[in-house]
Amino acid sequence: MSGLEFFVGHYAYWFVVALLVLGLYGMIVKRNFVKKLIGMTIFQVAVIIFFISSAVKKGATIPIADKAVGTAESGLYVNPLQHTLMLTAIVVGVATAGVGYALLVTIFRRFRTLNEPELMERMRREREAAEKQGNDA
Amino acid sequence: MKVANFAALALFAGLLIYAASGLPNRGDPTAVLHRDTSPAGTPSAPSYYIRNAYKDAATPNMVTVILADYRGFDTMGEETVIFAAGLACLLILRRKRKNPQGEIEP
Repeated sequence: MSGLEFFVGHYAYWFVVALLVLGLYGMIVKRNFVKKLIGMTIFQVAVIIFFISSAVKKGATIPIADKAVGTAESGLYVNPLQHTLMLTAIVVGVATAGVGYALLVTIFRRFRTLNEPELMERMRREREAAEKQGNDA
Repeated sequence: MKVANFAALALFAGLLIYAASGLPNRGDPTAVLHRDTSPAGTPSAPSYYIRNAYKDAATPNMVTVILADYRGFDTMGEETVIFAAGLACLLILRRKRKNPQGEIEP
C-alpha cells in the first residue's frame, strides 16, 4: 500500500482522534463543569463520526432503496446499520447531556459555583461547620 | 498534575493513532465490515438488510426499516432510556417544598 493511499484511507480516523483528544482534554483539564460537559459531548460526537465514516463504501449511494439501482447488489448502498445505531446513540447522548445539565443547575442552586476546586472548598467548609455544630450540641 | 494530564492525553492520542493504522481504508468495499457473508457462512446483517428491507417492510428507507422493524426492541429500549432521563431531569430540577418556617426541607 502506497503512502498516499494510506493517507487518503486513514486521515478521517486522525480527525476523529483529534476530536477524541479534544473532548478528553476538556473533561480532565478544564475546571468548569459546563466545559467538562461540553468536552463529554465532543467525545460522544467523535465516536458517532467514527461510526458514520466506517459506513462509507466507495461507489455506493445513500441507503434508500431505488428502483433504478435495485437491491440485489449490497455493494451499491452504504452500510445502513451504523446509521441506525448512531441515530440511537445521538438521542441517548442528548438525553444524558440533559441529565448532566440538570445536575449542574442543582449544584449551582445549592453552592453558587460551577468551578471544581471552589466547589470542593465550599463543600469542605460546609462539612466542617456541620461537624462543629454537632460537637457543640 | 498538569504534566500528568497532558502525558495521559498524548498517550491516548498515540494509542488511538496506532490502533487506527490497523483499520481498513475508509470506503474500501472489501472491508470485513461490508462483507456479504459472515465467517460462519450466514448472510451478514447489513447485506441482509440492504437486500430484504424493501421486501420485508415496503419502506424504501433502510435506516427506518432497521430502526423500527428489525431492531424495534432496541428502539423501545432507547425510548425507555429517554423516558428515564426525562424523569430524572424532572426529579432533579423540581423545587423542594418549603416547611412553615420557610426553610427548604432536604
